[in-house]
Amino acid sequence: MAGLNDMNKQEKIKAIEEMIQIVLLRIPKEIEAMHFYIKAAEKSTTDEAKNLFIALAQQEKGHEAELRRILNDLKQQLMELKNG
Amino acid sequence: MKREDVKEFNGENGKPAYIIFKGKVYDVTESRLWKNGKHMGRHKAGGDMTDFISMAPHDEKVLDKVKYVCDIEEDIPKEDPKEKWRNLYRRYHPHPIFIHFPMGVLYFGVFMLFLFLIFKISEFERTAYYALLFGGTSVFPAVITGLMSWYINYDRTLTEIFKNKIIYSSFLILLVINAVVARVLSGNQEEGNLWFYIYAISYLLAIPVMTFVAYNGGRITWPD
Ligand code: HEM
Repeated sequence: MAGLNDMNKQEKIKAIEEMIQIVLLRIPKEIEAMHFYIKAAEKSTTDEAKNLFIALAQQEKGHEAELRRILNDLKQQLMELKNG
Repeated sequence: MKREDVKEFNGENGKPAYIIFKGKVYDVTESRLWKNGKHMGRHKAGGDMTDFISMAPHDEKVLDKVKYVCDIEEDIPKEDPKEKWRNLYRRYHPHPIFIHFPMGVLYFGVFMLFLFLIFKISEFERTAYYALLFGGTSVFPAVITGLMSWYINYDRTLTEIFKNKIIYSSFLILLVINAVVARVLSGNQEEGNLWFYIYAISYLLAIPVMTFVAYNGGRITWPD
């Protein structure tokens, strides 16, 4: 796969826009998964299951936070490319 | 300290570097891993790290090694105002509900129109027209709820898929309106009447356009 450095500006913009879409579409999925695990934790009948689901929910929260961070970085990069 | 104040301590230009974790402020200025306020090329000092801990290769015990500064004073709990809407949307998912009306009814209507063109039985033509009125009207709640989801769940980020959906939905609405107007102007749906052909062609064209909008919806729900 060609890295961003080998591309001209138009190609870079296109690659970043594509990445933005990929990351963007994933965020609601992570939120959904987190809610699912929170509900599962609430319904758990053993502490073991409850702790597992809470840990999974926290991981999904981490994914969401990380995706949002990447999304903001990408939007920033795109703005700089378009203005620069 | 308030969240706003912590932002100032970003570790840049010799400023101290503070981070927030679970409502507490920590000083990481002295840490080698937070040089100039940057951590692993990802995180910046001044921010809240709570949500990121599950992605870190370490657990929260690392915070015992840095200096605790104070607790955060929250004016209002840090909740995204969109959170409430997101929860409501997730519970009722109105867009996937409303899209079934245009999707079902317009396909049915065009099928009726085909039957009319083949068998020339006017009941089929009438049915097609009523389906157009109902199915065409039901495009509006589909579009409105789609825009709602775009706003609530995707912060109105305009990507290729959303451009497709918005442009082709507008096109769909124009086709539907055009078809209704042409049908009204055609008077007694006689064949050979120019308005009737405009009606039939607009109606037929609405199908691939709607299908393309829906296909792009599927790309959101089932991304590859
Ligand atoms: C400006 C107009 C529109 C926007 C912004 C939009 C946006 C969206 C969004 C965000 C989704 C993901 C699911 C969700 O969040 O609920 C979606 C899914 C979908 N949309 Fe739209 N939409 C629009 C118009 C339409 C129209 C007019 C139709 C069909 C008549 C349609 C058909 C679909 C389908 C079939 C899905 C997949 C449904 C599923 O998840 O089961 N959309 N759309």
